[in-house]
Amino acid sequence: MAGRSRVGAWLARSTVIIGLAVFTFLAVVPLLWMLLSSFMQQQALTATPPDFAPASFTLDNYVQVFSSAAALGRGFLNSFIVALFTTAVALAIGAPAAYALARLSVPGANPILMMILATQMFPGIVIVIPLFIVMSRLDLIDTQLVLIIVYLSFNLPIVIWILRGFFLAIPPGLERAAAVDGATVAQVFRLIVLPISVAPLFATAVFAFIESWNEFFFALILTRQSAQTAPLVISQFAGQYQTVFGQMMAAATLAIAPVVLLAVIFRNRIMQGFADGMVKG
Amino acid sequence: MADVELQAVAKTFGKVAVCKGVDLRVEDGEFVTLLGPSGCGKTTTLNLIAGLEDATEGDIRIGGQRVNHLTPFERDVAMVFQNYALYPHMTVAENIGFTLRLRRMGRTEIARRVSAVAESLELGPVLERLPAQLSGGQQQRVALGRAIVREPRVFLFDEPFSNLDAGLRLKMRAEVKELHQRLRVTSIFVTHDQEEALSLSDRIAVMRDGRIEQYGTPADIYTRPVSRYVARFIGSPPLDFLPGKIATEEQRTVFRMGALAVPIDVRTVGELGNSPLELGVRPEHVILGAEGAPVTVRLVQPVGPATFVTVAWEGGSVVARVPGMASLVPGARLHVSVDPRHVMLFDAASGRRLSI
Repeated sequence: MAGRSRVGAWLARSTVIIGLAVFTFLAVVPLLWMLLSSFMQQQALTATPPDFAPASFTLDNYVQVFSSAAALGRGFLNSFIVALFTTAVALAIGAPAAYALARLSVPGANPILMMILATQMFPGIVIVIPLFIVMSRLDLIDTQLVLIIVYLSFNLPIVIWILRGFFLAIPPGLERAAAVDGATVAQVFRLIVLPISVAPLFATAVFAFIESWNEFFFALILTRQSAQTAPLVISQFAGQYQTVFGQMMAAATLAIAPVVLLAVIFRNRIMQGFADGMVKG
Repeated sequence: MADVELQAVAKTFGKVAVCKGVDLRVEDGEFVTLLGPSGCGKTTTLNLIAGLEDATEGDIRIGGQRVNHLTPFERDVAMVFQNYALYPHMTVAENIGFTLRLRRMGRTEIARRVSAVAESLELGPVLERLPAQLSGGQQQRVALGRAIVREPRVFLFDEPFSNLDAGLRLKMRAEVKELHQRLRVTSIFVTHDQEEALSLSDRIAVMRDGRIEQYGTPADIYTRPVSRYVARFIGSPPLDFLPGKIATEEQRTVFRMGALAVPIDVRTVGELGNSPLELGVRPEHVILGAEGAPVTVRLVQPVGPATFVTVAWEGGSVVARVPGMASLVPGARLHVSVDPRHVMLFDAASGRRLSI
């Protein structure tokens, strides 16, 4: 009996480890390939099979990317401004909304939640043409504002959905105690709920920031030049006659560096944020 | 300071009726316990008094004023919660002073009041610590301090000791009782621990299924329970119920249970003679010795000041309380009888106690 259950536990454990290994492999290999090819010459990279001889490695791609620094710099700046504002506004509006949906008796809370979820089911391509028309009538095409508005429209529901889960997991005793102590709903939120939700708020903010930072499709349609974000600038290394893979990958490496750094530096807080939501829930 | 009155208070959650018409009157300065098993509606009743839930029906009055529509704060009640509910990001001083800060009291006045309360609860040395850095007993005292600092009209306690270990529980019980004797603030205390209820209360309301089954002094509840439910809930170990019937033997009215008969004083033997009855007897009124029905010892549980001895009885068992550390062993044969002055008769069908 004991032997069989030990084998069962071992099997379960192995399955989990194999699953995680496959997932990690799928997630990491493209990144490694990007990093590797950013240091390789075009000929070596396009050869079949790729030529991994030490002589194929070079820093030229990065030099080239930095020589077109004006475009890339503008792209980074645009991405940063758009992601920062999107994240800030999404949290400022999303956190109170999530709290209201988690704790207050909001009329029609369930339909509202369904609608929030439903917004996530639309493929972007379905709405992009009407969106383009509306935005061009409003004369917002190729501005940072149009991207902030559009990114909010899909970040806000996610922020509300994630934070609502966290707020639901807070033991209601705390808020009851604060109510007995004389706090209004707004005071409970501001003085009790927000201060103890720093980790989940942080995790959600990083998530929203990365979503905005990485967005490509809407930025492609709704910007032309001055509001172009980093992913668009990078894609332009794929020229009309030739795709300069090495430079593209060098630019991409630079583009993901800030979010990777963000995730690495704050990984403890992010993990804690998500763990909080799970354990108490 | 104020009295609290509930009149036909009902609360339903969706289709589930949790309180089904609770009537309760707590006098000014009184300490009243709501006692009952989980799910009997005692915590909901407390939340209704606090204003954390809205009553579906009925009136709640504090100090003569109807408070149904008032917020917890406006009712001027303070509550101590089961899991302490301390604000984890605030120091002890901030936790205690939070309610004063919300009233826009001056810093120096807050500091003065907080330190006075902390002094009385021996929390002075830990005022700048966070709740997570405190022991369970200290956390509980901070929760008390948070309630005291407001000088409320009514204290509400929701099973405040259930997370503490046995020793600390006894200590906190004594502290709460002392606190009540000192401040004399009307207090309502919810617990499922009958011993806690007996030791703390001026009066106890035993709740059952959303209603108050009996409301009286600890002595009343212990010696004159209205029903089998109340009788069984109070006292540890609980009393035993022995089925039998009323008979007249040698010109005396007795309650006969197999080999054992207890003389009782019943006026209307005729009526009672027909319905199935049970005799309730507490362990301290079961007498083991040379007289009575022969029995065999099954279990001996010494607890220090007394020993609880379980003896086999008519297919079931009876527990007797023997003073001191009794040297009985399982299998021993002796005789059992009951003290006729302390027996209670219950109607087996309805569970009500009969007045004899």
